[in-house]
Amino acid sequence: MSARQPIDQFAASLPGDRRSSVLGSCQAATSKRLTALADDFAHADDLRRLAARIKQHTLDHLDTYLEAATARLEEQGVKVHFASEAEEARSLIHQILAERGAKRIVKAKSMVTEEIHLNDYLIDRGLECLETDLGEFIIQIDGDIPSHIIRPITHKNRREIAQSFEREGLGAYNDDPEVITRRARVHLRDRYMKSQAGITGANFVCADSGRIVLVTNEGNSRFSMAPNPLHIAVVGIEKIIPRDRDLGVFLNLLARSATGQRLTVYTEFLRGPKAPGQPSGPEEMHVVFLDNGRSRILGSDCREILRCIRCGACQNVCPVYRQASGHAYRSTYGGPIGAVLTPLLAGDDFAAFADLPKASSLCGACREVCPVDIPIPDMLLKLRHQAHDAGIRSPGAPPMAPFAELATRPVIWRGAMTLSRAANLVPTQLLPVPALQSWLKLRTLPHWRGGEFRQWMATRKKP
Amino acid sequence: MDGHPEEAMNRNDLFQKLRASAPASPEPYPDYDDAMLLSRTGHPTDLEASFRQQFTSINGYAFDSPGPLISLLRATANTRGYCDPALFPILGQPLADAGLEVSTLYHRSRYDDYQFGITRASGAIAETGTLILTDEQTSDRLAALSPWVHVAVLDPATIAPSIPEAIKRFGSSVNIIWVTGPSRTADVEGILIEGVHGPGVQVAYLSPVLSWTAPASPSF
Amino acid sequence: MSLAAAPTKPVSHRVLLMATCLCDAFFPEAAQATVQVLESAGCEVLFPQDQTCCGQPAFNSGDFSASRRVARHTETVFAGELPVIVPSGSCAAMHMHGNAIQFEREPDAARFDDLGRRTWELCDFLVHGLGLTSWPGSFPHRIALHHSCHTRGSGTRSAMQTLLESIDGLTLVPFAQEDQCCGFGGTFSVSFPHVSGSMGTLKLDHALKETPEFMTSADLSCLMHLSGLADRQNRPFKILHVAQILLASLPR
Ligand code: SF4
Repeated sequence: MSARQPIDQFAASLPGDRRSSVLGSCQAATSKRLTALADDFAHADDLRRLAARIKQHTLDHLDTYLEAATARLEEQGVKVHFASEAEEARSLIHQILAERGAKRIVKAKSMVTEEIHLNDYLIDRGLECLETDLGEFIIQIDGDIPSHIIRPITHKNRREIAQSFEREGLGAYNDDPEVITRRARVHLRDRYMKSQAGITGANFVCADSGRIVLVTNEGNSRFSMAPNPLHIAVVGIEKIIPRDRDLGVFLNLLARSATGQRLTVYTEFLRGPKAPGQPSGPEEMHVVFLDNGRSRILGSDCREILRCIRCGACQNVCPVYRQASGHAYRSTYGGPIGAVLTPLLAGDDFAAFADLPKASSLCGACREVCPVDIPIPDMLLKLRHQAHDAGIRSPGAPPMAPFAELATRPVIWRGAMTLSRAANLVPTQLLPVPALQSWLKLRTLPHWRGGEFRQWMATRKKP
Repeated sequence: MDGHPEEAMNRNDLFQKLRASAPASPEPYPDYDDAMLLSRTGHPTDLEASFRQQFTSINGYAFDSPGPLISLLRATANTRGYCDPALFPILGQPLADAGLEVSTLYHRSRYDDYQFGITRASGAIAETGTLILTDEQTSDRLAALSPWVHVAVLDPATIAPSIPEAIKRFGSSVNIIWVTGPSRTADVEGILIEGVHGPGVQVAYLSPVLSWTAPASPSF
Repeated sequence: MSLAAAPTKPVSHRVLLMATCLCDAFFPEAAQATVQVLESAGCEVLFPQDQTCCGQPAFNSGDFSASRRVARHTETVFAGELPVIVPSGSCAAMHMHGNAIQFEREPDAARFDDLGRRTWELCDFLVHGLGLTSWPGSFPHRIALHHSCHTRGSGTRSAMQTLLESIDGLTLVPFAQEDQCCGFGGTFSVSFPHVSGSMGTLKLDHALKETPEFMTSADLSCLMHLSGLADRQNRPFKILHVAQILLASLPR
């Protein structure tokens, strides 16, 4: 076959050691998640469904909740901004920094700032913008992009990382993970202390209290908000939840789904700038609520995807992600969540990503692990339909109109079933059907026995 | 709002779009009982014992007298550090008496000199072995973050049984942080390493609040 | 909406058999076994002659207008009140779930809700419909049970487990990564040959390591994919549809 699916091609070209490391880490994360949930909760699925309903409820009333959250934040002295798309968000953030003369920025891991490519934008404008999450730091020094929501460098091995550290002057080659981590610790803490602003995302925003919730394992978000006076949180509008109380649902699910921990090491709840007597921490706090296509998705038939809490469990369990790795998806979000979210976020560029929803056997493993029970396979199907309706051709897929023609004419169908037995007489490699030839490259086909059952059914003597 | 006119427009625009996309039959807020959020360890009978057990299981050290802490600090060669002045009488003094260098001032410029930091915890969660710090009661965020060893002085009476209960006790603090074990990463080949940016050793020092007295004078 | 609970399904000893296009074309023994298994459980099995396919191939490729045409035909063929029994978790899921997606905004959606409600996968029907708690007879073999993906969250999984475990001499052989997909996925297998083939090979590696005599499943599509792969790779691998095991186990 000439045309091939880009994700399949990417998977086929993946070096063996990389594939096995992605596969291995995904398997390990999947089983940790399962144990963490099953050990602790007799009815973990009820918890997932509850989380789904709370999130769906919030999305269905997002105007009300976003308004409430904004009001609380403003009461508490937080400056709240709204950006309708990426460029607006970037220039808004740049402006806030420029007005305060902040040039040295430390950043905690945030998918939404990846989504709007904030780093490059600020660096191009002469600012120093440093990723502090260990994985994201390595991504940054390598000029790479993250390949997993939770484990951004799951595609790299320790030797590659040690080489990068050596190249960046962080010490002579040493690929011991402990040494790598200590070197990053020393290098980064100096930069935290000299920083003038910290940028983070947010995992949740509670509408009733205006509480911003941030989780990290490394403590980097805390460190990004201790030595400098300015904090900017960039937040997708779908991060709102109704009440503080609901955090009990989401915090229990997030860490277990992501890493198999019961709670992430640092779970931070902010309602504004630091307390008056506190010597360290931001005196000024900004929240930038980002739309960037989310309100459009909310009006579509894939609105449930906005329930996502970015845990990465669907990536870990996905057999296609395991074979292809995150970079195959050509976007910030890989795996099942990316296969849905990327084409949706792309808006007018939908066609460029219309192949992503095809990259699934529709096995449904993603939905089974998703802490907010997103029916991902249903959305993949809806997006395939959208692509088909838009006339976007999909390489490798046979056309379906002839099949529908045959399958709605029972007499012809029965005839074809029997007549096709003739195909058994022809060597299958000679049949001029591309889909069949693609099948036969890897597999044999059983003998054609069309009509035999019908004959048996019609002629047998009932017991 | 900062008063940028285009931002006001964005805001109105966005809310209009959100209202327009509200579904015909919205999902109601689900009725649920906090009991379903409790994990296997969410019903502790002895709060202090459960906290200790969970805290230890995530590689934390729980002490209730200076001796073992002094031994740990010596054994790991973390002999210079900071102590919240309010905690100096109960813990700083015994450490100083044992020959450790204890300062009640945290100088940012010397952040690397503090090998341990003693600050106050505002509470804890027995279910998960979590320490709760608040801006109002932490003498310096950095002192609880930059040293290799963080010692949180915890009044056992402030331990909450579970996550939902700890949420109920949020109160009015502007900044609460839950710390569940030492800072960690598994970014490099999935291998767990403790002590990335924050402390590599997390200590809970359990001490009833009644023994706390007025700040003492700094030393170093 | 997807957050609601499943409606209750009808039970009767008069049933309609939907044999599936795969059995029609390749696996007559599995369809025959389905008939005989149902009859041994006291059912009268009716086979509507005009049945063709559930429409899933077109549905999965996103061509909803083609798949709706097929589904409408199928709905007419299986009209009425009787339960529709399918020896495939995948085709059953098309009725129980897939149609709801593609008919969401169609005027005749209710007819497909009804068809979905009446459709049962074979083992699910035996256990959760007819109330069987065990299966008679013996089948002294080591069996690897592949849970096909379309049976996730359905009654089929526990039903298969219940039936197979109760058969004398039958040993279910556990293997690694049981929950992973076999890589078939319909047109996915031809448009993503590398990924699909790797998934299948991985499944074979895990299952064959435990040296089962047969692999069984509620879905022949998975088994056909796996045995086709094994064949190309010259690895001995034998498959049986679950109905064939149930039939073979019956005392003669
Ligand atoms: S879609 Fe679900 S499983 Fe995937 S990242 Fe989002 S919340 Fe996690």
